[in-house]
Amino acid sequence: MNECSVEKDKDRLIEKYHQGNLTYEEGKQLESCIEKGIIKLEDLSDLCHLNKKLDMMASVEPSESLTYSFHQLLNEQRKARKPLGFKLSGIWNAKPIFRWTYSLALMMAGITIGWLAKNSNATHTEVGKLYAEVQEMKEMMMLTLLEKESTSDRLRAVGLTSDISEVSDKITDALLKTLNNDENVNVRLAALEALFPYASNTKVRKGLITSITNQESPMVQMGLAEMMVALQEKRAIGSLRELLKKEETPQEAKDRINESIQILI
Amino acid sequence: MLNVRDGKLDHLGLLFERYKKILFGFFYNLSGDPNLSEDLVQSVFERILKYRQGFKGDGEFKLWMFHIARNVNIDHYRKTNKLQKEDIEHWRERIGDKVCNSEEAMGKAEELKILQMAIARLDMEKREVIIFSKIDGLKYKQIGELLNCSEGAVKVKVFRAMQTLKAEYLKIEKAI
Repeated sequence: MNECSVEKDKDRLIEKYHQGNLTYEEGKQLESCIEKGIIKLEDLSDLCHLNKKLDMMASVEPSESLTYSFHQLLNEQRKARKPLGFKLSGIWNAKPIFRWTYSLALMMAGITIGWLAKNSNATHTEVGKLYAEVQEMKEMMMLTLLEKESTSDRLRAVGLTSDISEVSDKITDALLKTLNNDENVNVRLAALEALFPYASNTKVRKGLITSITNQESPMVQMGLAEMMVALQEKRAIGSLRELLKKEETPQEAKDRINESIQILI
Repeated sequence: MLNVRDGKLDHLGLLFERYKKILFGFFYNLSGDPNLSEDLVQSVFERILKYRQGFKGDGEFKLWMFHIARNVNIDHYRKTNKLQKEDIEHWRERIGDKVCNSEEAMGKAEELKILQMAIARLDMEKREVIIFSKIDGLKYKQIGELLNCSEGAVKVKVFRAMQTLKAEYLKIEKAI
């Protein structure tokens, strides 16, 4: 019997525990009562005694060098961060038609913003609308480039996402589609990297987990496994285990995936 | 942490100040090595910075941080393949001759030394569960989230770990 149903049982078990007379079965019963919260660890006086000793364990302080190293790390990170704003270099490398469209849009935006600023009637709504239009244009350009046959165009399209400050579902969906369907491994890897900043989005996260079993390239499989570790995404364990079962997964990839599973567990 | 995730890195300084001691204590009680513990705390904050986008914001930061701390600890011991488990012969040396030869009641400091050694004799899972259960403000339910088990299972794990700790403590006490 592993049930601890009555108060009498509880008292009897505690008493026998203190006397050190518990049988194996009774030991199991005691654990069951602890699990259900019927017996609290505080009811066991020997553990209370040990607990008091543990409480006495001196509270240790780290040295000042830890604080110093941390601030050094923080400074390095600050320096390493990319400057905010649009990255235009990618645009200049694009095909002339996109370059011209983009330049024209920016020029128009500049003129309109200037005009709005000059006019006292300028409203925040108009500036906001204009900003939204520029964003939309960038998205359109990215989506168009993604459809191109040339690998470098598709890579450029994926790279363009870092220039878009507020990424819409349309973009993340396109990136997930690229991750799952693009014929080129490098494009798929770039899409994976581009999706990482948006992994806090539930839809993106779910898409990444689903993508694991779709991937055949060991590079992408390992990339996804590492990302799942970075995201602490335990729900991916099942999909990662499926990759281990596949005969075509190379041993090196299996080892790396297994390591990731162990960390996630 | 949401501010840090959104690029306001200065806010991480506040989190560091709030949690450095608790994290250091966690690693120190696991390893007994202050220098290693500081290195591991630094590694935790490096990972927090690196993977800040992974913080969903729907849970407590402290739990997320301890998930990372556990992984840092596992990675460290996997790399070094070393888990401090002292031999019974070294216990006398550690406690000191004064205590061994003394017939007087053991002082508080010696009791704590024995306790630290007894903890060092436990396997990593038991050490971890005891240390987590002693962290201020960490509930059994939250420990369950960290260890991926139910609140009830955590209570049983703590019970078993405390039983083993008691046995190790008595063994050392008897040996000296």
